[in-house]
Amino acid sequence: MTALATPTPHGPSALKRVFGQPLLWLLIAIVVIGVVTSQYFFTPSNMENLLRDFAVFGFLALGVMLVMLTGRIDLSVGALMIFSMIASIDLMQFIGPYLDIKMMSRGSTYVGPTVPLVLVALAIGALAGLVNGLGVAYGKVTSFVMTLVTLSALRGLSYTLTNGRPYYLRGEGFKWLGEAAWGHVPVGLIALGIAFALFAWLLHAHVVGKRIYAIGGDEKTARHSGINVSCWVVLAFVASGVCAACAGILFTSRLMSADAPMANGYELTAIAIAVLGGTQLNGGHGSPYKTLCAGLIFAIGLNLLTLHGVNAWYQNLIVGVALIGVVGLAQGIGRHKQAL
Amino acid sequence: MRMGRISNPAMETLMSAGARLKPCLRGFRPSAELSRIALLLILIAAAWAGHASFMTPGNLRTILLAVSTVAVMSVGMTLVMLAGELDLSIGGVAVASGVMGGLLIPAESAPLVIATTLGFGLLLGLINGLLVTKLKVSSLIVTLGMLGIARAIANLLSGGQALYPDDLAGYLWLGRGAVLSVPIPVWLAGLTVFAAIIVTRYSSFGRTLYAVGGNVRAARLSGIKVDRARLVVFMVSGLTAAVASLMQGARLSYIGPAGFSGIELTVIAVATLGGVSLAGGRGSIEGVAIAALIIGVVNNTLNMYGMSSYLQQIVTAAVILIVVLPDSLQRKDRDT
Repeated sequence: MTALATPTPHGPSALKRVFGQPLLWLLIAIVVIGVVTSQYFFTPSNMENLLRDFAVFGFLALGVMLVMLTGRIDLSVGALMIFSMIASIDLMQFIGPYLDIKMMSRGSTYVGPTVPLVLVALAIGALAGLVNGLGVAYGKVTSFVMTLVTLSALRGLSYTLTNGRPYYLRGEGFKWLGEAAWGHVPVGLIALGIAFALFAWLLHAHVVGKRIYAIGGDEKTARHSGINVSCWVVLAFVASGVCAACAGILFTSRLMSADAPMANGYELTAIAIAVLGGTQLNGGHGSPYKTLCAGLIFAIGLNLLTLHGVNAWYQNLIVGVALIGVVGLAQGIGRHKQAL
Repeated sequence: MRMGRISNPAMETLMSAGARLKPCLRGFRPSAELSRIALLLILIAAAWAGHASFMTPGNLRTILLAVSTVAVMSVGMTLVMLAGELDLSIGGVAVASGVMGGLLIPAESAPLVIATTLGFGLLLGLINGLLVTKLKVSSLIVTLGMLGIARAIANLLSGGQALYPDDLAGYLWLGRGAVLSVPIPVWLAGLTVFAAIIVTRYSSFGRTLYAVGGNVRAARLSGIKVDRARLVVFMVSGLTAAVASLMQGARLSYIGPAGFSGIELTVIAVATLGGVSLAGGRGSIEGVAIAALIIGVVNNTLNMYGMSSYLQQIVTAAVILIVVLPDSLQRKDRDT
């Protein structure tokens, strides 16, 4: 840690940056705790389960983090992840016959091809993100309010479209998305890995990242130096919408159903993960690597509590205390470093 | 959310101008307030024209009763938001304090149950405030954590079971009684709003709140006890959550650990509709009270037309956007 604190001409090396991360040590610690305290923790089936949970939270948190980097917030992701699937199923039933796609939908069961459904869901995610982005960047509505409005509108729409009944998904594609794994690495995790690589490349090795961080750091300066702030903010919301749709696809394929009240409150979990990963609420600070570290810690923590048979109420209590504690501790350490 | 980093020149000039203005004008923007009142009147006229039964005393009482819980919570939230913070924990605080009081039902003393409920709400608010001021964690995170903690406390204390205050006449009176044929919850909401208007407009604490929310740094440098103001608003927010829980518990004669789900976002939406800025220092209690009435009238009208509550959710969201959009388009600066 001391080596990190001394500024070197080129900054700390990539290796040091990765291993100097307190989050990584927290992650290692919680894995060790898991292995030591539960014989079921490090079994293939538990690991697969855990990683599938992680993939959903990871996607949500990545999207929310990107929006938070620009100094905005996205509360609509929890509602959007379910809405994108529900709306996609409805839309497919409507446009399917025209596109000559063979499918059946008996009652509220969707039996049909997965690929078009997934593509439509992603498009709906992007569209909802676009609405959020346009409202925030060009309508100048505070992002908190704008996404709060879409959150409640999308939940309402989901209930209206489904009439309060769950949609069931049948098909090999959904089974593959929800259950398949390559040597214990679930499909969802691979998808998250690709998204992470894309985020890491764009944010850390591409001019896009420089612009996004500049907007979050000081919007006025960014605008004066010729960055099209509104455009990038809209794109950040679109990306967050697509991430939410990805999370929704993985989540619903796993449960083989999509129901309006699902994933209630996930937006707050996603923000909690992003903040746990050091993303700041007023923008400019945060990284996909740290966000996913925090997401994994969160997923393992929940998994361990379940393995130990801790009552769900105690789980909420522990998560709440841990959230305040960890963020408080991290800020305390940050202030201490600054004081030195 | 602490927004100290974002400079807000418009607000600063407003603050210095505000010092010279009469206190009764503080936070009062005639154009915005009048447009809200106009919207409310138009909605009432439309509802009346559509359904003659809208203007019956019974229906008006229904609207006010339905609005009272949210109105009380919105007052607490508005004070927190004026100081530039956010309280996401109110739903949790409401159920936790309700259950805490409900556990004392066997003692058969209504004042004891009521006092415990209020006291526990105040305590949770105090904890929120202490964490924000001492630990210096963003209020969004603290109150998000507290939301989970308080809900867990409610479930653990009650074992997930609902409590029924059927035999406590004094307690039930809070929800079902009436004075001058106006229900007690409406009185409570009205008094809360009235008290908050007096405090924000005519007391030095009100001035402090606007100063802290407008520019934390300037407030601190001018000797205002910023942390104490923050502590107080979180305590008030906890207290109003407990009052709302009393009102609902008494009206339904049912104290459940699962109630008030998602209320925090509804209340923030009402406050925003009322013109309160998330960046702090801007907004007024009157605006929020009118906003609560607007939501009440809209929901009541849609109920009369038999619209499902889910569609109502969409309509309410649209109303909020319609009210907020022109106001935000006028502003040159942004907050978050």
